Amino acid sequence: MSSSIKLQSCLMLSLVIATATYVQAENWPGWRGPQRTGVTTDTGVPTTWSSTGNVLWKTSLPGTGISNPVVWQDRVFITAAEGRDQSELHVLCLDRDSGRIRWHQRLWGTAPTVFYYPKSGLASPSPLTDGERLWVFFGTGDVFCFDLDGGLLWQRALADEYGPFENRFAAASSPLLFQDTVILQCDHYGASYVIAIDGNTGANRWKSDRPEAWLSWSSPQLTQVDDRFELVLSGSEKLDGYNPVTGQRLWTVRGLVRECVPTPVLGAGLVFVVSGPNGAHLAVKPGGSGDVTETHVVWRNDRGTSFVPSPIVVGERYYLVDDKGIASCLSTSDGKLLWRKRLTGKFTASPVAADGKLFFTNESGSTLVLDAAADEYRELACNELGEDVYSSPAISQRRMFLRTTKHVVCIGTK
Amino acid sequence: MKRSDELRTFFRSWAILLTVVSAVHAADKPSSTDDPAVAEQLAVIARVGPLGAGSSEARIARDALARRGPEILPALLVAMDTRNVVAVNWYRTLFEEIVSRESAQESIQQTRAFLLEYARDARRTSRPRCLALALIERNEPGFTATWIADRLGDPEFGYEAVAHALAAGEQALRDKNTVLAKSEFRKAFEYARDGNQVSQAAAKLKTLGESVDAVKHLGLVVDWWLVGPFEAPEKTGFALVFEPEQRVDLAATHSGKDGKSIGWIRHHASDKLGQLNLIDAVATTREAVAYAYAEIEVPQAQSVQVRCGADDNCTIWLNGRKVFGREQWLNGTRFDRFITPITLSAGKNTFLVKICQGPQHRDPEVPNPWSLQLRLCNAEGRGIVFRPISPNPDDERAQ
Repeated sequence: MSSSIKLQSCLMLSLVIATATYVQAENWPGWRGPQRTGVTTDTGVPTTWSSTGNVLWKTSLPGTGISNPVVWQDRVFITAAEGRDQSELHVLCLDRDSGRIRWHQRLWGTAPTVFYYPKSGLASPSPLTDGERLWVFFGTGDVFCFDLDGGLLWQRALADEYGPFENRFAAASSPLLFQDTVILQCDHYGASYVIAIDGNTGANRWKSDRPEAWLSWSSPQLTQVDDRFELVLSGSEKLDGYNPVTGQRLWTVRGLVRECVPTPVLGAGLVFVVSGPNGAHLAVKPGGSGDVTETHVVWRNDRGTSFVPSPIVVGERYYLVDDKGIASCLSTSDGKLLWRKRLTGKFTASPVAADGKLFFTNESGSTLVLDAAADEYRELACNELGEDVYSSPAISQRRMFLRTTKHVVCIGTK
Repeated sequence: MKRSDELRTFFRSWAILLTVVSAVHAADKPSSTDDPAVAEQLAVIARVGPLGAGSSEARIARDALARRGPEILPALLVAMDTRNVVAVNWYRTLFEEIVSRESAQESIQQTRAFLLEYARDARRTSRPRCLALALIERNEPGFTATWIADRLGDPEFGYEAVAHALAAGEQALRDKNTVLAKSEFRKAFEYARDGNQVSQAAAKLKTLGESVDAVKHLGLVVDWWLVGPFEAPEKTGFALVFEPEQRVDLAATHSGKDGKSIGWIRHHASDKLGQLNLIDAVATTREAVAYAYAEIEVPQAQSVQVRCGADDNCTIWLNGRKVFGREQWLNGTRFDRFITPITLSAGKNTFLVKICQGPQHRDPEVPNPWSLQLRLCNAEGRGIVFRPISPNPDDERAQ
């Protein structure tokens, strides 16, 4: 091999590595990551860690919250709430490499409520960013928009504008970004609605009332059928598809039970929804119009559903762990059970996946790493962090960001 | 400049000034700064409102004010005394930015007297008062802990003051000073408006041999006449009208769930915070409705609050007139969940309360409670004085 060919090969190899590194260094811009499914193309996340091993940094947080950390390039965003009525709201930006607090905004919630779940407080919804702006939503019904340096751009006090959030555990739905609009699902005892807000100005693009909706803490999902985008909302007792441009309801699937928390996930051209405590898993073909219960439900499985954790789809497998720790793996095509296993501990966090691995973190901060390529249950590692975890992890740039009840912990290799 | 131009400039200046003054006035927050530029920028922020209105202008004004120093903190705090919570958050980001600057610390100390006076002023809105106090605390760690002890009865700091008294009582117990402990727990009980704090103080006094009446203190209604369960399939109970809503007759019998004959029974809720457990008192059932009826007597007509929580839903009739109704299945009975102003008549007043029981979750292990908690108090949460009446169904046809 001539030296010029060697040089060319080296350059090509460098380019491939650089490109691969660039492609794999994915951000985690909101609830459940880049596609809101818990799955990222990022690679190189450690498989093993402990309370000290592979911990790059650990930063203390004020108050409480179960919003997941959001990562954009060199910044990590997180929210928290504290105080007797949880009206003291916090938005923090941490440095990705050191955990140093870059900025910390303290705000007041418009409609503080004493009716929140102690585990989560009023900081359940995860932040959302497009790399230029950061949107945060709290259980008080307040939406704030910041630039990435922490400068306030606008605030909406939805509880003042449309009535207080009357909700057993406070609003928990995470915002969704569709083009330049921020979409919020506001289901509660009072007048429920879904609202699309101009991400730049805070003005309404549209608002659709949901008079039949009731308690729900689920976050909206976005899917596409041919050239039509569909906004998918899991509410108590039904799943709805909306036009995200106009807010017009397109279709409805009945058959869910009351009080939905999990966010629908996507895979194999289907929407997978989990229906409340001891409800059912449904695989639904999006599209259609009107009541599509009889025509668009591809399969239904009545066993092993969770109340809080959302499911995850990797390849042709659908995984879910229920609140008590029973993990199930179903076939995405027909909902048949592939395996079921009792895991250790209780679960609030939703699983995430990267690099062919699944990460299930229980409430004691123990993360089970499973082989996502295996047909059967195959455990790769079990990592003890030593702190309670109720928040779902974020994965970005070869690192995992775990919010414990006290800290944000960055796991990675130096 | 021509005379007409001078006049135009003069009137324009006045128009700007009037706009600023009216905006500040509309927001109910006079500025304490003499600098008109600061007042104008604060007024711009005061105009933010629903739908994100005024945000871009507020950002410009905010950034201009951020270049100022701690001398504008008093004006900022005065501006924060408004019900426009969106504007308050804009002011707060500014406040926090200024106080976080290292160079500002000495100047902040010079505003201590203003901050303390502001924190003391219970007429002001709560949150900026906390901010003023936090700023003093930042420079004088431990200040709040001693200052708060004197804030019993304060609408913002009262809860913390009671907590302080409870903690002082505990410390006195550890020091074996029972006289002081009793005094602190008595004080805590007297000023407590929160159910847990009342219970805690009462329990402590009981261990010290002193009996207090938490039920009376909070104005809880605990003596009821009950009838149920009425048949209410699925979630129809809130809307269905049963006979007691048309006429309360304590001697009557009604057709209840599964065709069973049901009549009114007397019940005393013995729970320490007056919670009425309908499963124990009426029946273990689902998809049903029960009614609770009580009569009380007050010496004179008065405006009070009825505070209630019920599982499921809650509807209240006072002297035959509906004064509250909320359909919230699975809402849980929580202390002071709903607050409604009412006017009691001099003498006898009757309360009829409807409580629904929803369907059982498909998982039989999911609890399905059925309960009510109701109290009568003033606007500050202190129970009013009333006399429960026990109507005799044999000689009185109520309402």
